[in-house]
Amino acid sequence: MTNARANRISKSMLNEWYWGWFLVAPTIVGLIILNIIPIGQTLYMSFFKSGDFGKGNLFVGFDNYRKLLSDDQVWHAVKNTLLYAVMVVPTSIVIALIAAVLMNGKLRGKSLYRTIYFIPMIAAPAAVTMVWRWLYNTKFGLINYGLSKLGLGPVDWTTDPNVALVSIAIIGIWSVVGYNMVLLLAGLQEIPRDYYEASEIDGAGKLRQFVVVTVPLLSPALFFVLVTSIIQAMQVFDVIYMMIDIQNPAYDNTVSLVYLFYNNSFKYSNKGYGSAIVMLLLAIIMIITVIQMRAQKKWVKYM
Amino acid sequence: MKKKGLSMLLVLMVLMAVVSACGSSGSSSSSDKETNQAPAVKSEGNSDTAEPKASGEEVTLTYAMWDSNQAKGLQTIVDEFEKENPGIKVKIEVTGWSDYWTMLEAGATGGSLPDVFWMHSNEIYRYASNDMLLDLSDRIKNSQKVEMDKFPTGLTQIYNFEGKQYAIPKDFDTIGLWYNKTMFDEAKLAYPNENWTWDDLYKAAKALTKNGKYGILTPFHNQEGYYNFVYQNDGTIITADKKSGYDDPNTIEALKYYINFIREGLSPEVYGDSERAEAMQNGLAAMGFFGSWNLSGFTANEYMAKNFDVAPLPKGKKQATIFNGLGNAIAHNTKHPEEAWKFVEYLSSKEGQFRQAELGIAISAYDGAAEQWVSSNTTFHVKAFVDMVKYAVIRPYSNTTAVWEDKAYEALKPAFTGQQTVEEAAKNAAKIMNESLATEK
Repeated sequence: MTNARANRISKSMLNEWYWGWFLVAPTIVGLIILNIIPIGQTLYMSFFKSGDFGKGNLFVGFDNYRKLLSDDQVWHAVKNTLLYAVMVVPTSIVIALIAAVLMNGKLRGKSLYRTIYFIPMIAAPAAVTMVWRWLYNTKFGLINYGLSKLGLGPVDWTTDPNVALVSIAIIGIWSVVGYNMVLLLAGLQEIPRDYYEASEIDGAGKLRQFVVVTVPLLSPALFFVLVTSIIQAMQVFDVIYMMIDIQNPAYDNTVSLVYLFYNNSFKYSNKGYGSAIVMLLLAIIMIITVIQMRAQKKWVKYM
Repeated sequence: MKKKGLSMLLVLMVLMAVVSACGSSGSSSSSDKETNQAPAVKSEGNSDTAEPKASGEEVTLTYAMWDSNQAKGLQTIVDEFEKENPGIKVKIEVTGWSDYWTMLEAGATGGSLPDVFWMHSNEIYRYASNDMLLDLSDRIKNSQKVEMDKFPTGLTQIYNFEGKQYAIPKDFDTIGLWYNKTMFDEAKLAYPNENWTWDDLYKAAKALTKNGKYGILTPFHNQEGYYNFVYQNDGTIITADKKSGYDDPNTIEALKYYINFIREGLSPEVYGDSERAEAMQNGLAAMGFFGSWNLSGFTANEYMAKNFDVAPLPKGKKQATIFNGLGNAIAHNTKHPEEAWKFVEYLSSKEGQFRQAELGIAISAYDGAAEQWVSSNTTFHVKAFVDMVKYAVIRPYSNTTAVWEDKAYEALKPAFTGQQTVEEAAKNAAKIMNESLATEK
């Protein structure tokens, strides 16, 4: 009796499982081949002094990590990377949130604005950086020209060690706002109108509505945007690579972990050390993400 | 349920994002740092990409290079080669300088190198010592067309590893003193000539600096900058026994002279590659140092073509300019070694070298071909580049040039920004460079 029933249940369950696995298989396979295996290989590589062209790798144990700990440049890069994330993430989310709320309201030409905000996301980072480089140009750039019209002195946007990271963060914010806005906009449209109507009847003003209805109900979307933005910011590379050469006086103040990884792995052909740098980045991102997952219980409200 | 799904998704995204950083950064850096370069990867020529069949009817060779300025001219040579050698097709593939080496390394690791490709002194050691290149020694010996002694010894030596020749010089380049004729005329100064000394350079720079314009541009650049002055002052960058020359008093003296232009406000502080060319093309600086490979770009620039000319570098204790030359190499595992050799043989023959010079592609390394090259450009007095060869010094290199060059840059930076004295920075550069050289095999 019991046997037969168990059988019946498991049959339909099995069927469901098969379909479930079948449907996620493409993603899983892709993940394993393109991501999981490379992670393992990178970790493995970080214990080796890499030979040229993948030949003659020499096992060195923790040497790469020991070198990492005593390498000033790595810690500069950690600092720069974190600083960049701190500058870009909150600013871009606040701007994106404001833009999303405005786009969600009654606004003429809404879809046009949405498109405009999203364009930086579509443009190739390299092309974007070339344009910004011209804007930032000390002698002939549009920004310094504007400043001179206002009676202000020129700023060395890309070579002043105190300014360069800010210049890069501005590009970062500019490129990511549109994408975050679209995600938040999707979150906003999930919020049922009823809540707003109910709160209106209770006498809540627009601002109060925003605080007690919009933000809590948007928190899952906000959380998603926050986590992905931080991860993305931690991996900043293209813009810095395009804008800051090793000769640049601001190099030490702008070099990011991924840039350092690139230089070591590909320019200096030291893939073992490059791998160790990436493992450090992975560890940092993992720690930040775990903290966020824990913290979400405190503020993220799922409907 | 929903929550769980989201957290799962996030974990996956973390993993994916981090790892794709490792995976993609190599290839996503596609665009070149130099503004005036063509799209990262461009293939020209034959649309016929069909793999050669075993029948041996037709063979397609790939020829990889990093300079899009030369690709057009070389296509002409390729066309002529194909006409003479029916059955062999050559496909030119251009990749920007920094991505070129990433591409080549990936090709070497994965066993899919281009058949024929350009080699550089910075990288030859890695490729030669790991047997990635076809040993050409015997083929050269048996060839009727290639005569190695017609090339400058310094150049052939670069591509000779443990007695085996792995590449044949294609061309060479030297550094010239570019000057703005209009600005010289306005200041009523005589143009630079081959007899100029460091004093003349300094005096001219001083006289030309006025009204927000700078007399000279001494950029933070080695090959197109202070290397030349170091060798003019009897200094050195790397000694014969592979030690740093940055602590050599002559080297330091040259660096002091060079950096002093910035300190005295005779040169703007310029760090980026594109900014250097900009400073000339906008009339910001009256004199600058640029290699012969910039020629086609400068000729195409209206302002430069109208206002600029080029002269040999000034003389310090002696005359010197940095020169370097790239070579044509063949992959060790090419499927068509005979055809590839035929092509390289043609490129290295007297005929091919003279044709390259005649077309103005680059200064051919072959003895006597350089004069042909001079007449290919009438905009500037490019003879200066060729005249300097007799006292030119090979661009300093060792087995890990790319590593210590960057380390030296980092150490010398404070001297250029003025945060450190030249002496301190140079000694520091020597120390760091020696540490790096010590790890060299």
